[in-house]
Amino acid sequence: MEEIRADGRNPNQLRPFSCTRNPLDRAHGSARWAQGDTIVLAAVYGPKPGTRKGENPEKASIEVVWKPMTGQIGKQEKEYEMTLKRTLQSICLLTVHPNTTTSVILQVVGNDGSLLPCAINACCAALVFAGIPLKHLAVAIGCGVLEDGEVILDTSKAEEQQLKSFAHLVFPNSRKSASSKAANQKEEDSEQGLITSITHGVMSEDDYFNCIERGLAASSRISDFMRTTLQKQAPGDA
Amino acid sequence: MDQRWRPTVNERDFIERALQSDLRVDGRRPFDFRRLKILFGREDGSAEVQLGDTRVMGYVTSQLVQPYKDRPNEGTLAIFTEFSPMADPAFEPGRPGESAIELGRVIDRGLRESRAIDTESLCVVAGKHVWSVRVDLHILDNGGNLIDAANIAALAALSTFRRPECTVGGEDGQQVTVHDPEVRDPLPLTIHHLPIAVTFAYFGEGNIMVIDPTYKEEAVMGGRMTATINSNGDVCAIQKAGGEGVMSSVIMQCLRIASVKAADITSKIKNEVNSYTSAKALQKVKRLPASVPKKDSIHAAAMKECTDGALEMQSAKASSDVQKIIKEPPSVVKDNKQEDVEPMLTECNPEVKSESMLSAGESNETQETISPKSLRDAVKPKHKRKKKQPIKS
Repeated sequence: MEEIRADGRNPNQLRPFSCTRNPLDRAHGSARWAQGDTIVLAAVYGPKPGTRKGENPEKASIEVVWKPMTGQIGKQEKEYEMTLKRTLQSICLLTVHPNTTTSVILQVVGNDGSLLPCAINACCAALVFAGIPLKHLAVAIGCGVLEDGEVILDTSKAEEQQLKSFAHLVFPNSRKSASSKAANQKEEDSEQGLITSITHGVMSEDDYFNCIERGLAASSRISDFMRTTLQKQAPGDA
Repeated sequence: MDQRWRPTVNERDFIERALQSDLRVDGRRPFDFRRLKILFGREDGSAEVQLGDTRVMGYVTSQLVQPYKDRPNEGTLAIFTEFSPMADPAFEPGRPGESAIELGRVIDRGLRESRAIDTESLCVVAGKHVWSVRVDLHILDNGGNLIDAANIAALAALSTFRRPECTVGGEDGQQVTVHDPEVRDPLPLTIHHLPIAVTFAYFGEGNIMVIDPTYKEEAVMGGRMTATINSNGDVCAIQKAGGEGVMSSVIMQCLRIASVKAADITSKIKNEVNSYTSAKALQKVKRLPASVPKKDSIHAAAMKECTDGALEMQSAKASSDVQKIIKEPPSVVKDNKQEDVEPMLTECNPEVKSESMLSAGESNETQETISPKSLRDAVKPKHKRKKKQPIKS
């Protein structure tokens, strides 16, 4: 019955998203990723020599700084930093530049729900624009579970506050399939796996698997968008 | 590669030599500001300023707190500056460096001590509850001259900030209820004047000066001075912390130049704020219930979905008002909107027609509403109507 959401979207409809390439001048790579009214600005400073104490010097290390819109840095921000660091560590090729630190700094410009997925997408785009070598892209999506078990994608702030539970999922980007046959798709899906999953609230196992399935489908749309945006380059760029 | 960027000897030499012939590296004249762009976010009180390559974001929030003991009937204004490592690899996260603190202090002095923001209007219950306004300035990109850009960001954000309305009630007159912005319109801050910071950089023994230095010029300069002036010509603050000694005649000349630039920037800020505010007011759709007092019935009719039944109801109630108020506009509007109106209406009653033309236009484009301004439109109807036509077509 509650098919239409508060802002008129279908359960599977994502908000319009956009990505700006290198809005900042000083940073080596930067991206401004907007999903509806949730906007995150990510900046990347390329490998700097030396790693912090306690980090493995045989690999590159990633340092994440999360800046909220207002207020002091608290536990929530530290949690986001840790989640992002682990996610980015799994997509970067860490052995290319050992004993270096790559800094990723995020600034929240607007928060209307699905903040963590937006931030992950922004970071991934910023890393690509900076030219940091990656294994594959990270595509993040937020899914919410309604009371009747229905799954909605790309939750807004109002929806997140009302929902019983929601999950933020990060998938590797889908591979370009030459043929779009359903059988091939299924095989590739089962190979992909899930990079990060953060859930809030209580949901049943079936709901969770439902979320993953829907999220995977949506992630292919986002990864197509990423593929076109991240590829546009002036000829002659390294 | 070193963390801190330092200019090379060649760069330093080139910049100084070019300045001796009044040339700047980016092609500006010595007293030109870079291009200023002010963008506003979706929320009230968030602004992003781009001054050339420098980008600063300002965000204003407010909270009810207890006032200071020595000022029981004044609200508070606090400025927090974050030199994000995003802006410059030399900025460390965590503790603010000296330049961050200096920037915060200069902007704070300009706003607070010149009484640009009226803090007494922020008092709700003297001695118990006052509004505390917090301005967060995030430096996103350091292209030089952070003080000026951050100051403009703070002013733009404060100009568009709206604080929730609250009423004092209850048995002892001490209970404060804060109204939701959906229920009652939030209020703007009372801003008396806009203090604009203008920064000068001195080169070559203090006889060459430029306005709005880039970060390369800042690395090479001998000294710096920031003058905070408003458009009335009042000097709100001057900051010259060390650096090269400069003759007082040069300082006086700088102040004169600064007041001219301040007037220019003030008008730019005011224009941008006005266009943002009017665009936002046009977008706002207020939903009022059917049983509203007579005065508001025009709003209700203009805003509701175009149902003929509702129109009939409202027109009967408000016909006299409509006649009074929407006298002039229909002559202008009717000509161009005849095609839109015809298929939608069944009544030929002129009052209803004019009213429903507003609402027909309403339902055609969900964004455009004439609503809260329809009474005001009556006072200046013609030029407002004219503005709408190009949008509608």
